[in-house]
Amino acid sequence: MICENCKQRPAKVTVTQVHNGAQVQRHYCDVCAQEFHPYHLDFQQDALSLHQLLSNWFGSTETKQPQEKTQPELNTCSYCGWTFQQFLNQGKFGCAECYESFHGQLPEVFKKLHNGNVKHIGKAPGSFGQTLQLKKQIESIRTEMRTAIEIENFEEAARLRDEARALEEQLQSGGENRK
Amino acid sequence: MNIERFLENSVTSWMAGEGEHADIVMSTRIRLARNLTGYRFPLSFSENEALQVDQEVSAVLLDAESELESTFSYIDIKELSALNRQVLVEKHLISPKLANSEIAGSVLLSDDEAVSVMVNEEDHIRIQCIFPGLQLHEAWRQANHIDDVLEKELPYAFDEQFGYLTSCPTNTGTGLRASVMMHLPALTMTNQMNRIVTAITRLGMVVRGIYGEGSEALANVYQVSNQTTLGKSEEDILSDLQSITEQIIQKERESRTALLHTRPNVLEDRLYRSLGVLTYARLLSTEEAGRCLSNVRLGIDLGLIKGVDVSILNECMIFMQPGFLQKYAGTSLKPEERDVFRAKLFRERLQVDTNLDNEGEETHDV
Repeated sequence: MICENCKQRPAKVTVTQVHNGAQVQRHYCDVCAQEFHPYHLDFQQDALSLHQLLSNWFGSTETKQPQEKTQPELNTCSYCGWTFQQFLNQGKFGCAECYESFHGQLPEVFKKLHNGNVKHIGKAPGSFGQTLQLKKQIESIRTEMRTAIEIENFEEAARLRDEARALEEQLQSGGENRK
Repeated sequence: MNIERFLENSVTSWMAGEGEHADIVMSTRIRLARNLTGYRFPLSFSENEALQVDQEVSAVLLDAESELESTFSYIDIKELSALNRQVLVEKHLISPKLANSEIAGSVLLSDDEAVSVMVNEEDHIRIQCIFPGLQLHEAWRQANHIDDVLEKELPYAFDEQFGYLTSCPTNTGTGLRASVMMHLPALTMTNQMNRIVTAITRLGMVVRGIYGEGSEALANVYQVSNQTTLGKSEEDILSDLQSITEQIIQKERESRTALLHTRPNVLEDRLYRSLGVLTYARLLSTEEAGRCLSNVRLGIDLGLIKGVDVSILNECMIFMQPGFLQKYAGTSLKPEERDVFRAKLFRERLQVDTNLDNEGEETHDV
C-alpha cells in the first residue's frame, strides 16, 4: 500500500479517525505522518470540493428531502434523469438539458461561483445564428451610447442611437415577424 | 537511456524557455471546454455515447488538416500503457482524470505537442494550448481557431444566457481557463506570496502551487488562472490575467534586485550550494530537488551562475516526476529507487550543459 498523501512512499502509519460515529482509517508514510497532524487536518483529496461547497450553500441532502417528495418532477432533468439534489451533491451537471431543467435555481448557483455574474458575455458559435450576434451588437452600441451621454457627447450619442435603430430593424425583418 | 537521447525524445515545445518574460513565466496555457448536443455529459453517458462522441470529434479534426496549422495524431487512451499515460500527464498534455478514465476517451495531439484536444474527459471536448513564456493572446488565438474548425461541423451545447454548457458549473459561460505558470523565488523568499494570493483571489483569479502537496509550492512554481467564466468576455479574461501577471512579474523583479543588493554573499552562497547539490548528490528527494532547481534557476537569471541552460527548470520539473524517471531508467522504480535516479538525472543533465572535466569521476556511476 502506498501513502494516501504523497502517493509515492509506502504507507507505514495507520491513523484511525472517528467522524460522526463512523470510523475512517488512513494510511500514511512516516514522512507525511510527521509533517501533518492527523487530528487537525483531514487529508481527503477533495477536502473542500465544489460539491461540498454547493451542498453547504444550497442545503444538505437531509433538509431538502421532504421538499423533493412533494414535487419530484419539477426537480428532475427529463433527458438524463438527474435531480437538482444530485447536481448539488456531485457539483456537476449530467447533461446540457440540465441547464434547462434547473433553470430557475441556477442563477443563485452561478452568482456564488462567478462573482455575482449570471449571464454569458463573449464568444458564441457562428452556427448559433446571426440573431444573437445582432442582439449583441445592439447591446454594445447602446452601452457606448450611454457612455456618450454621460460625457455629454450628444452628437455621438445620436449617431449611435440611429445605428442601433437600423440594426433593430434588420433584426425585426430577419426575424420571425416579417410583415 | 542515454541522457541526450532521453532529452531529445522527451522535451516538448512549451519547455523551451522562450517567449516573453521567459525568465519568470515558464508557460502559458489556454483551455476551452465544449460539449455536443444530443449526448449526455461524460459523467452520465453510456459506453455507446462515448464511442460516438469520440468518433465524431476525432473525424472532424483529422479531416480538417488543410485548415489547421499542424497535423494531429489520434491517441486512444485505453491502448496506452499505464506508464505512457503517466508521461503524458507529467508533460501536461492530458489530465489525470482522462488518464484514469474507464470510458472510451482519446487525445488528439498536434505534432509539436502545443495543442492537445482531449475527448471525453469531464466534458466531451477540451481544447488545450500550451506555449512557452507569457503568450496569452497567441495561445488563445490558436485554441480559438481549433474551436472554430470544430464548431463548423459539430453542434455545440450552447445557451444564449449561460453560454457554453459544461459539466462543471465553474466552467459555464466561456468555458475558458487561462493560466500562467510562474517561477517566483524572490517573492517566496521575502514572504510576499500570502499577501499576493489574497489580493488576487479578490479579483476573480486563483494562485496555487502546481507541484507537490501541502501549502508550500514545490520549486516556487505557481499557477495563476482565471476563476470566473461567466459575465466576462474572453478578451477581458485574458487582458485581466495579462495585467495581473505583469504586475506579479514586476514585483518579482523588484524583489530579486532587492535580494541581490541587501546580502549578495549570502544569496550567492545559497544558490551555489544548490548547484553543488544538483551536481554531486547521490540521493535527491522531490522536495530537495525542487528547492535546488529553483535556486539554480534564480542564479542563472541573476547572472550569478553561468554555463547552465535556462531551460533547466522547465525540463527538470517535468523529468523528475515518477513517470519520466522510469522512462529514463528504462525500468520500473520503487519509490526509494527514484531518489537515486533523480540524482543521476540531474548530474547528467548538468554535465550536458557544463561539460565539466570530471569524466573520470562520472564513469564510476552506472
